Amino acid sequence: MHEPGKKKVDGWFALGLLLTALFLVFVLYPLLLILYKSVLDPASGGTTTANFVKFFSRKYYWITLWNSVKVTTCSTFIAVLLGLPMAYVLRNVKIRGLSVINILIVISYLSPPFIGAYAWVQMLGRNGLITNIFNKLFGIQFAGIYGFAGIVLVFSLQSFPLVYMYVSGALKNLDNSLNEAARSLGCSTFQSVWRVVTPLILPTLLASALLVFMRVFSDFGTPMLIGEGYRTFPVLIYTQFMGEVSTDSHFAAALCVIVIGITLALFFLQGLLARRWSYSMSALRPMEAKKYSGLSNFLAHLFVLSVVALAIIPQCTVIFSSFLETKGGHVYTGNFSLENYANTLLAKDNNAIVNTYLFGVAAIALVVVMGVLISYLSTRKKSPLTATLDTMTMMPYIIPGSVLGISFLYAFNAPPLILANTPLIMIIALSLRRMPYTIRSSTAIISQISPSIEEAAISFGASERTTFLKITLPMMLPGVLAGAIMSWITIISELSSSIILYTSRTRTLTVAIYAEVIRSNFGNAAAYSTVLTVTSVLSLLLFYKLSGKREISI
Amino acid sequence: MSVTIDIDNVVKKYGDLTVVNGLSLKVDPGEFFTLLGPSGCGKTTLLRMIIGFNSIEAGEIRVDGRVVNDVPTDKRNMGMVFQNYAIFPHMTVYENVAFGLKMRKLSNAEIAPRVAEILELVKIDALRDRKPTELSGGQQQRVALARAIVIQPEVLLMDEPLSNLDAKLRVEMRNVIKNIQHKLGITTVYVTHDQEEALAVSDRLAVMNAGVIQQIDTPQRVYQRPANLFVSTFIGLSNVLNGKITGDGKGVDFGGYMVEMDNLNELAKPNAPVLVSVRPEEFVIDRAAGEGLKAVVKNRVFLGSTIHYFLEMGDKELEVIDRADNLEMIPAGAQVTLTAKANKINVFDESGGRSLIAAERTQ
Repeated sequence: MHEPGKKKVDGWFALGLLLTALFLVFVLYPLLLILYKSVLDPASGGTTTANFVKFFSRKYYWITLWNSVKVTTCSTFIAVLLGLPMAYVLRNVKIRGLSVINILIVISYLSPPFIGAYAWVQMLGRNGLITNIFNKLFGIQFAGIYGFAGIVLVFSLQSFPLVYMYVSGALKNLDNSLNEAARSLGCSTFQSVWRVVTPLILPTLLASALLVFMRVFSDFGTPMLIGEGYRTFPVLIYTQFMGEVSTDSHFAAALCVIVIGITLALFFLQGLLARRWSYSMSALRPMEAKKYSGLSNFLAHLFVLSVVALAIIPQCTVIFSSFLETKGGHVYTGNFSLENYANTLLAKDNNAIVNTYLFGVAAIALVVVMGVLISYLSTRKKSPLTATLDTMTMMPYIIPGSVLGISFLYAFNAPPLILANTPLIMIIALSLRRMPYTIRSSTAIISQISPSIEEAAISFGASERTTFLKITLPMMLPGVLAGAIMSWITIISELSSSIILYTSRTRTLTVAIYAEVIRSNFGNAAAYSTVLTVTSVLSLLLFYKLSGKREISI
Repeated sequence: MSVTIDIDNVVKKYGDLTVVNGLSLKVDPGEFFTLLGPSGCGKTTLLRMIIGFNSIEAGEIRVDGRVVNDVPTDKRNMGMVFQNYAIFPHMTVYENVAFGLKMRKLSNAEIAPRVAEILELVKIDALRDRKPTELSGGQQQRVALARAIVIQPEVLLMDEPLSNLDAKLRVEMRNVIKNIQHKLGITTVYVTHDQEEALAVSDRLAVMNAGVIQQIDTPQRVYQRPANLFVSTFIGLSNVLNGKITGDGKGVDFGGYMVEMDNLNELAKPNAPVLVSVRPEEFVIDRAAGEGLKAVVKNRVFLGSTIHYFLEMGDKELEVIDRADNLEMIPAGAQVTLTAKANKINVFDESGGRSLIAAERTQ
């Protein structure tokens, strides 16, 4: 018994404090530092808006933002146009090979976008396979798909799976009797999709579109590889920060602030819209995929298979070309060989693969442990402290990877905390980027466990700690582990913060692939990419096996 | 303007599984017709065939003489009330009810008075601007009903509309539904597994089991003169006893206790073994010894207007309902004599498949 008025410091409170401190140091502090740097006048030590004025007054700079908005909007729009009908068709029509189709879609989504970019260059680039065939066949001079069109092509095909997965999940919860009610009231099939289904899945559609938008908006690998002269905002940030000619860290900081401002605004806008139109739905009678025949069956198959084919072509190209013999790394001789694998896997002091696995496992461990604890704190131990913690953990959700990387370099390159160039900084960055997703899914899992189960354990004499370890945690574990596998796949595919933070000792697979592509060593890049893809596929199969589900949530 | 529905030898298959095999029935104009049966008996399947959500593999469904087999649902002009109401969550009450009229391309000026009238009829005019999440189950049910009838459908279909409501609301809503249906005179097909509900609302009902119609009749006839043993035990309670037809063919013999009957049909052959079904309230229970079935009271439950006795007769358990106006309750353990009311008992052949009661003279 403790005396009233005297507050006992319990373990959970201490843990909450510790976690909050960690997030203050690793999330809030670097961000505030960037904000500070962006308005700091290095000459006088006072504040200045010069960096922002510089950006918005010169077309050379602001055009990148406009370019980004254009490609992102276009790609998001096309991603929705592909993902929405895909989800509806696959929920409605029996399509042959559905499970294979689902795996292919997930894989095409999980591979880093820049690999798609480089694969499309291999096919539709200046000297691409398809380009050459076309030019020879029709005697034309197609110069390859670069710039705006190329970027949009890659991003759209890379992003529609996300829309597809979200909408497909929402459609699963949509009661088919709503559809039937609309039909009985005189709607044609199309009208009922338009007037009933679409408004109900709109919140989900918006949420997925926002995710796509933020992903595309902050991706710099794709425009770097396929954009050529078409410069986007992340490219500008990267070159300002890493560029060899003139690096201006204060200007780069200002750019980071602008990008955070935009994603933050979008995040709130989406939240606002989602709150206005959110419906809790549970399907008594979900839609059932029916067997169609004749033309509609043919068209449905044609649509689904062509979209999936387009999405998976880059992966196939990469895997195929990894077995091609090259001369000097970038000219294909037309023979098959394992030389690319020999050059990459067996190369001396090549640590990329080991690093990827090592950092990935470490980051996953960190994410899972912290994710479970934080979600437990914020659902079961609600207090101002845990609310603050919860908000801070969501921040990486809206911070582009490259901005996170830059902020880390600013913050941890000098005493008291020198982490730059260490594996630790990579691991922390990777886990922070994944944290919001893990916490959200863990929170969902905890909310499904009735508190009365914990109360029952306590009533039988278990301490709170024992209850957590012996009751709550084991109940959460299957869901958390399934989520961890998905996190693992996204972590090993991460490029945008790694590319800022890596050193020659801490290279990862994606960094290696990117570097090889930039150096036109396509053979090596293909071999690395294949290793990455195979790892992802195996992990995905493991996920299916463990979770016993066919549904994926990212 | 009320229409008939002719269901003529329809067949429904899911893959290789035949759920309904050659079923026929006819619903009269303006009739409140119920499909009653245990879950999985095919009643909802049949309802969904009428509205067009399920395809018809063979046979015909005609509405007002027109074959509707290949007419798409949206062209059938049928209103439907769903088990979970299926209220559009993104629309207000008014918008939900107006939806079907909008689909019929009516102008707002035409829609408004019709919606207002229906909302008043189902007594939810005060809720017109609410969102479905702000409504109780009963209110949602009223919206669903209003939405289905405002389009002035030729046929109204209801799929277990009351199964999600609590017991008290269920009774209230079934009266609402019955009254409104009666007022509008729409030909109505109603699906339920709740026999009491079916008896309460229907003009006629079809008892179904395993995709086959067991009996089509008025609630009273179905209860009092079930066509077979299934109907007799599915609707209400029945004590089923083994017996045989008496030697003269004019009564049943329970093994010593004979009941004389004047309504056995030609299937009742002398000395044939039969199943006799007696409703609990059709037994007369008496402590005095005499002619009748001998049983022992095991338990009794006082329910206000009635007393339920649970009896044991050999290895058989019986249930008897006595009106509570008998001043004295019979204690447990007491020996009693049961006599059956001859004109109320039902006799089936040995398999329980056919009734041996002659069709009554039409009144």
